[in-house]
Amino acid sequence: MDRNLKEVQTLAHAHTVKRHKGLMDWLTTVDHKKIAVLYLLAGGFFFGIGGIEALLIRIQLAKPMNDFVTAQQFNELITMHGTTMIFLGVMPIIFALMNAVIPLQIGARDVAFPFLNSLGFWTFLFGGLLLNLSWIMGGAPDAGWTAYTPLSTTEYSKTHGVDFYTIGLQIAGLGTLIGGINFLATIITMRAPGMSFMRMPMFTWTTFVTSAMILFAFPAITVGLVLLTFDRILDANFFNVANGGNPVLWQHIFWIFGHPEVYILILPAFGMISEVVSTFSRKRLFGYSSMVFATILIAFLGFMVWAHHMFTTGMGPVANALFSIATMLIAVPTGIKIFNWLFTMWGGQIRFTTANLFASGFIPTFVMGGVTGVMLASAPADYQYHDTYFVVAHFHYVIVGGLVLGLFAGLHYWWPKMFGRVLDERLGKWEFWTFIIGFHLTFFIQHFLGLIGMQRRVFTYLPNQGFDLMNLVSTIGAFLMGVGVIIFLVNVAITAKRPQNAAADAWEDGRTLEWAIPSPPEEYNFKQIPLVRGIDAFWKEKMAGNREMTPAEPVGPIHMPSPTILPFMMSVGLFIAGLGFMFTNDDFGNGLINFLFNKYIIVGIGLGITFVSMLLRSLNDDPGWHIEPEELNGKEVKA
Amino acid sequence: MTTPHTLNTAETLPPEPEKATLEGRNKILAFWLFLGGEAVLFGTLFATFLTLRNQVADGPSAKELFHLPLTAAMTVILLVSSLMSVFAIQAMHRGDKKKLAVWLSATVVLGLGFLGMEIYEFAEYVIHKGYGMTTSAFSSAFYTLVGFHGAHVLFGIAWIALLIGQLMKKGLTVVTAPKIYVAAMYWHFIDVVWVFIFTVVYLLGRVV
Amino acid sequence: MVNQESEGRAPVVKRRQRHEGPEKHVIAFIFSIVLTLIAFAAVAAGEVNVAFTVILLLVMAVLQVLVQLGYWMHMKDKGHMIPIIFMAGGFFVAFLAIIAALYWMWW
Repeated sequence: MDRNLKEVQTLAHAHTVKRHKGLMDWLTTVDHKKIAVLYLLAGGFFFGIGGIEALLIRIQLAKPMNDFVTAQQFNELITMHGTTMIFLGVMPIIFALMNAVIPLQIGARDVAFPFLNSLGFWTFLFGGLLLNLSWIMGGAPDAGWTAYTPLSTTEYSKTHGVDFYTIGLQIAGLGTLIGGINFLATIITMRAPGMSFMRMPMFTWTTFVTSAMILFAFPAITVGLVLLTFDRILDANFFNVANGGNPVLWQHIFWIFGHPEVYILILPAFGMISEVVSTFSRKRLFGYSSMVFATILIAFLGFMVWAHHMFTTGMGPVANALFSIATMLIAVPTGIKIFNWLFTMWGGQIRFTTANLFASGFIPTFVMGGVTGVMLASAPADYQYHDTYFVVAHFHYVIVGGLVLGLFAGLHYWWPKMFGRVLDERLGKWEFWTFIIGFHLTFFIQHFLGLIGMQRRVFTYLPNQGFDLMNLVSTIGAFLMGVGVIIFLVNVAITAKRPQNAAADAWEDGRTLEWAIPSPPEEYNFKQIPLVRGIDAFWKEKMAGNREMTPAEPVGPIHMPSPTILPFMMSVGLFIAGLGFMFTNDDFGNGLINFLFNKYIIVGIGLGITFVSMLLRSLNDDPGWHIEPEELNGKEVKA
Repeated sequence: MTTPHTLNTAETLPPEPEKATLEGRNKILAFWLFLGGEAVLFGTLFATFLTLRNQVADGPSAKELFHLPLTAAMTVILLVSSLMSVFAIQAMHRGDKKKLAVWLSATVVLGLGFLGMEIYEFAEYVIHKGYGMTTSAFSSAFYTLVGFHGAHVLFGIAWIALLIGQLMKKGLTVVTAPKIYVAAMYWHFIDVVWVFIFTVVYLLGRVV
Repeated sequence: MVNQESEGRAPVVKRRQRHEGPEKHVIAFIFSIVLTLIAFAAVAAGEVNVAFTVILLLVMAVLQVLVQLGYWMHMKDKGHMIPIIFMAGGFFVAFLAIIAALYWMWW
């Protein structure tokens, strides 16, 4: 592909750009590496909130007939724990790693749309903030993270909690969709010369497939949330049986989105594990093509199994059987992946760094989650498991035991690339062992709690049903996981004080392009776009005796996008509009405030800010600015 | 990624100016991806409508409500407007800025006509027949599906009008061309969605 | 797809590169209008066979959409593999949602 270099050279003059400092720099940045840090900070913040909610839940359940929180507070806690963890905690951390790594792995200077990248982050953040504002504005959502109707309609959820859920997720979901489209376009068009699709690193592949799933899944939940919002605020009848509505419609729409969503969560973890296992085994990933094939197959099947969440709604034996079989089929490509990781490790020179410990811990843990998944896929058996702690144990095994372990592996692995500092390995090992022991202590026992009949989402239970001891053990495990996370934070704090001295190839066995450039990379990533000659491009060069990548272009001026505050403003506008729309029907007891909210004035102001920002973006074409070759030569940069 | 300013005059404009820069090509590709997502969005709305199509509660049914000549007129107007935007892109490929502006304006005018008729239709139902969002599940689904499409039309009109302004001010360049191309794609997609709306909502509403 | 000037050629562009006339698009338009007419006529004709009318209407709609996607949105042209894949993906998921609505929703 022709790079933009030729086009750049035709430019008669370079543009100057105003460089911002401090806070303004972060608000206006369009650099994918800085946006990655923003995602990590925001995702980490929400992950912390979700974790605290989890601990409060476990404290309440530690003993029978506990009154640590009320039933209402408990409902709010479980709803916000699930929603926060999935939409605001782990997804942004996934996006952080994608942003930090993908452009580097494909040998690009940035993503295809730096502006959209920034917009995606800010809409996610403001959506998340809106959702969490509910805690201090009259009560959090309390209808479960799935917000099943009619429980989530105004008849049964009278506070604004569910409004915060629908509108907050709507705004945050917009950010995710934008991010997904951006990564798809980036991976399709911005790959370095020589990097065909079948030479892309595994994490790039899973990001690509995940982004496609985001593209096709998120519009469905957008519609679902709009319908629920209309029911709640405009008094529409989508889910109102009295006027012909259908509550099961919500379940279908939610899960047509919701099931792909769980693969959106796990596929990037598969990619991270693939990179880590391969690097620390000093071996090429076993069965690369079958890994790619399995990833695509999982994504495809992932869209066809949503109704296995609804076996007990009475779809009839034919539909149940079909969805049962489709679900069980997913075990095949997933099994391919598991064996490929094992075969990659087999015969490798394995180094158990913290990253690789998490990756190795991931494999058996995820298999356990997968096995219970196949058990749940059997429709008749599901009638027994449904809505018990067995299900809770299952999805925590795949999400925490799968995704979160994958994220820790990925964070430890790429931390030097992101921040130029290697995380402390000794503390890392403490982290791993406390977290994984705590994890199994918390959730393994919940399988049995479910099987002997403990329902999920109950705020307390009577003594002497055999639940008492197991719940206590589970709570102790949860705190141990908390300790693991705190050790990680301590590790981050200690490491931040150390000198920024990570080598370019921080683990010495780096295989992919990101390890060919300094840690952390310069603003422009690659001084010269590298030429890719095979899978594991950097490893291939190293084996050929080269210390650097072969450049695919001469040194020339590098075109950079200008920083801009507009994405931030657009998101602020959406935030204001969302908040305004929510209180449309409220009586504040004050004429002016009533007027502002009930006549959609606040909504108008918010949307006005958003649309004016879009208008400004369209009118002022960004000429960008250039880094000249002289500036590049002044620094010690490797291609 | 670049915006070559030296290529702005009509003589140097490449034959397909929308695809001359990487930025332009990226924009078009990403817009296709976005349309894939939009297909799911409207698909879910159609699914909702189909689920609730007979749930009329105390309100009128599709058979009693819809007036086909109006729908037919709206369909023809939108079809013609889509053709106008095809001509606009052809003019753009010839580098004919003036014709481009004319065809785009025709698109906008016809779009406004369509929107006016839709507003008339809704007003007829809401004001004269007292048939609103809250009447029945069918009415909620109808207004939401057709209203979503109407909102897309409104956005498209505003967008293309804005681009006509930019075209007059900045000229036909490798920067403005991809924007116009993408807006035309959006307009065609709106037409595609309408094909399904008049078929599923209006025509099938009279049959089944 | 590199612009002419950067390849060092004279800045005058040879305008011979596939400038299709309006004919194909007008034909696509007429085709669309005819399909629309058939659909409306089938409904206006009143009581025929309901199943037949439904199938006819759906076929007319799908044909018209294919014509518009292919000609007006250039999907039949070269270099549209990725758009085709992703549009097909979108239509596939939309189709799943509609199937769910028609067959698996209980009352």
